[in-house]
Amino acid sequence: MSNTDRPTDEGVPDEQSRDDGEFEPIQVFPEAEEMDLRPGADDCYKCSTCDTNCPVAEVDDEFPGPKFQGPEQWRLKRQDDHDIDESVMKCSNCMRCDSACPSEVPLSQMHNTARGEYVEENMTKLSREYLRNRMLANYRRLAPLGAAFPRTANFVMGLSITKWLGEKTMGITSERELPAFATETFREWWRKRGGPAVHDENNRIAYFHGCYANYNTPEVAKALVRVYEQFGYEVLVPEQHCSGTPMFANGMLEDARRSAETNVRELAAAIDDGADVVASCSSCSMSIRQEYPELFDFEGTDEVATNTWDAVEYLRVHEDLEAALADASVDDGRFEEFAYHAPCHARNQGLDGQTIELLELIDGVEAHDVGDSCSGISGTYGWKEENYETSMKIGKEMFEHMADADATAGLTECPTCSMQMEHGTGYEITHTLEILEAALVGTNPTAEST
Amino acid sequence: MGYDTEVLVLGGGSTGCGIARDLAMRGLEVTLVERGNLTHGTTGRMHGLLHSGGRYAVSDRASATECIEENEVLRDIAGHCVELTGGLFVQRPEDPDSYFREKLEGCRECGIPTRALSGREAREIEPYLANDVKRAIEVPDGAVDPFRLCVANALDAQIHGARIETHAEVIDLLREGDDVYGVRVRHDSGPGRRTHGVPGSTEEITAEYVVNATGAWAGQIAAMADLEVAVRPSKGVMTIMNVRQVDTVINRCRPKGDADIIVPHETTAILGTTDEEVTDPDDYPEEEWEVDMMIDTLSELVPILSEARTIRSFWGVRPLYEPPGRATEDPTDITRDFFLLDHDERDGVSGVASIVGGKLTTYRAMAEEIADHVCAELGVDATCATAEEPLPGSENLERLEDGMDEFGLRSPIARRSTKRLGSRSRDVLETDEPNPVICACEGVTRAEVQDAISQSGTDLNAVRIRTRASMGNCQGGFCCGPMANELHPEYDEETVREALDDLFDERWKGQRHALWGEQLSQAMLNYALHATTMNRDRDPANAGPSALETGSESLEYAAFDAGEGQ
Repeated sequence: MSNTDRPTDEGVPDEQSRDDGEFEPIQVFPEAEEMDLRPGADDCYKCSTCDTNCPVAEVDDEFPGPKFQGPEQWRLKRQDDHDIDESVMKCSNCMRCDSACPSEVPLSQMHNTARGEYVEENMTKLSREYLRNRMLANYRRLAPLGAAFPRTANFVMGLSITKWLGEKTMGITSERELPAFATETFREWWRKRGGPAVHDENNRIAYFHGCYANYNTPEVAKALVRVYEQFGYEVLVPEQHCSGTPMFANGMLEDARRSAETNVRELAAAIDDGADVVASCSSCSMSIRQEYPELFDFEGTDEVATNTWDAVEYLRVHEDLEAALADASVDDGRFEEFAYHAPCHARNQGLDGQTIELLELIDGVEAHDVGDSCSGISGTYGWKEENYETSMKIGKEMFEHMADADATAGLTECPTCSMQMEHGTGYEITHTLEILEAALVGTNPTAEST
Repeated sequence: MGYDTEVLVLGGGSTGCGIARDLAMRGLEVTLVERGNLTHGTTGRMHGLLHSGGRYAVSDRASATECIEENEVLRDIAGHCVELTGGLFVQRPEDPDSYFREKLEGCRECGIPTRALSGREAREIEPYLANDVKRAIEVPDGAVDPFRLCVANALDAQIHGARIETHAEVIDLLREGDDVYGVRVRHDSGPGRRTHGVPGSTEEITAEYVVNATGAWAGQIAAMADLEVAVRPSKGVMTIMNVRQVDTVINRCRPKGDADIIVPHETTAILGTTDEEVTDPDDYPEEEWEVDMMIDTLSELVPILSEARTIRSFWGVRPLYEPPGRATEDPTDITRDFFLLDHDERDGVSGVASIVGGKLTTYRAMAEEIADHVCAELGVDATCATAEEPLPGSENLERLEDGMDEFGLRSPIARRSTKRLGSRSRDVLETDEPNPVICACEGVTRAEVQDAISQSGTDLNAVRIRTRASMGNCQGGFCCGPMANELHPEYDEETVREALDDLFDERWKGQRHALWGEQLSQAMLNYALHATTMNRDRDPANAGPSALETGSESLEYAAFDAGEGQ
């Protein structure tokens, strides 16, 4: 509010005649961090269903829950307030509140935005917490180092001194085994292989493999390629960055924006070339489908979101996957009985039932659903020293159900859920695409060594 | 039975409380009586605009000048009751250019600081303004919490020795010959702080001078002493939105009309209003079309209003007054100026004056003029200090802002609590006891509720206006019970239940006008919660002891419309 009089009347600026250039055109789409979500708080009528579905609130009495983090906090806020409550950093971004809400309140969008504001305004950029979170969020930038010297990296990471240092200096829990790097990344394999084995410009998918399938579990990515090629698809593997999931969860919205910009550009180009986008990681598909349009507005964001699919879902819709699996059988000791956990981010996409339904069709494979609890790790969340205990408390129900299930191996579609499942039970964890590969392509894919 | 005081003020609205404070600070012995709780009449039923004067800058420059002067005074003395939101007069393409120019000129001549903005600049300030708004004038409008302001005046009056009696209805104005010498009041539950269940009583209060500050009810009070005050009450509807769609006061820049203002108020935005003359300030229709018109018309300025939910609507009655002989047809043309009616000079009846007209922004100036008059009548030589002395809660606010303390609360709750309590924050919020949030919509903690109870007894509506607890988007669905629970164990169960009934009734009153969409879901959720946890879905005909006592078989629906404190 200016307290100075300005010449009136003749000084009234007119939209047309004004060209002194001092005014930036209004941003039709404000920066995500400046988003005003108060109107979205309109839809909350405080039924508290989100709070009862929040896995963190269930085990941590100090955490006020999604209703406070979302609509209440936005309602209490003024335009110029910047003091987001620090408790938002305890949210694991599992996004279960989104599905729980009967009133379509954009809870995770509110949390993501609030967390971004908190990190921007309230977290010291030189603090250990900020640096640690930035590092965890930007796994994709560190992973190439490890992947370049996988054996050395795996050896060093496995040393207790490394873990001790990690906890003392960075606040990364020493309780967990860091994921091992593959000796050959998926993209290296893809390059050596010479790209797609099937060429069909009318039948294309663009594969968003994300970081984990590239650096740590290329067998999942290879399985996807082989299954899709089996159905006659030409697989494109566009340039890509991290999907942004760990960045949202750490409030690093600028990092997420940069990555998302690349992804949207590359995936939109693939769509222009006739491809649909599929992802093997449930958090990657979640991010592209829901978080991108909620937080960003690059050209093509909505188009990319609309045309992105979970890899298994896509086949169920576009191919007669059920018939193919009904005829298939698996006779491999590695793929018999599984304790299956549906990741929260698959659940949020309405995909929590599909794996069990499909595997029932395959002769020789049994999958037991271990229930609808959250695994508790939620990406980078459970890697932080201060969250480890909470993460394990949340995971307790899943661990118990896994132990009770008639299986000694685990199955899921989310990389960090699989780390948690392995950590809590010692089971080896498989991705659903690997079973589909075994059923549809055969269990000896190593025949194709390059 | 008899109680004698120097000055008796009738009416616990902003004017009455302002007068009581002014006179008490000048050293006079003051008693104030109010039939409901403080702000019960028009003060608690306004849109919360702290006028810059811009609204009157074309039609009524005297009022405009007075507004900007008092606006600046209130920022100083009532910092914790006002929010300096700034305001915009927004011109749509169909609104006349000539009026826009007149508005700018008028503001300039009245000393109201302005800045002319293009439509684009206006949208930078308020992104939800319609894309086609043409221009805007920025003025120093603000938001004021009438409840907090009124209570702070009453509190300061008490600090200076005044007696404040709420729930004390004037049933007779005592006149002997040509002299008014006091009133008879009926206490709802005995004198002093309200306690439900205490039997009612009457009291005669005599005074050297009586000030009738009952606003729209001034005619009814004056008539008790066979005096005529021709108040022309005019109703206006206000609709409360669930969130602040705007952070700035948005006025429509056109000559006059209904539904032309949006005021950001605490966590909500208030849409206003209409202007229609009524015969009885206690009995007038509240109609659906009035609410619809608010939303439809104001959506032309801020389109998202058409999709947002309203949490309640309420009607207020302006205490408009015209000196005899003017006979203005349209109530919107009646002056907003205030009038001091000295009944001695006017009717030859001494010992009493009535104050009518006026508006909340200038309440202090009105109070000063009346207090001057009273002092002159009583031969007291004392000067007014209300323009300089901050209200309780508004002392040294800058220092408070700098050292914003969290009192162990989550940050948005600490911020809202501190904003409400101002310089009283430390006294109220610093506690070794557990201090849970009682009202989550507004961020009100137990400590603040207990502070309010210590001021107002079992009257939970008085707690509500002091704290905003139960005024948020669930309209008390989640917090009415816990608020009532705070009365225990000081008060017994029966008393607590009666207090809860009163609060529920009042909360329900305004929600009746917002039952569609999400707010209907809200009402159903509240109903289910209260039915399952407090058995409140029992047959209301068998609910209260009154139905049993009176033996009446059917429900008296009119009782629901009678307002608070029934």
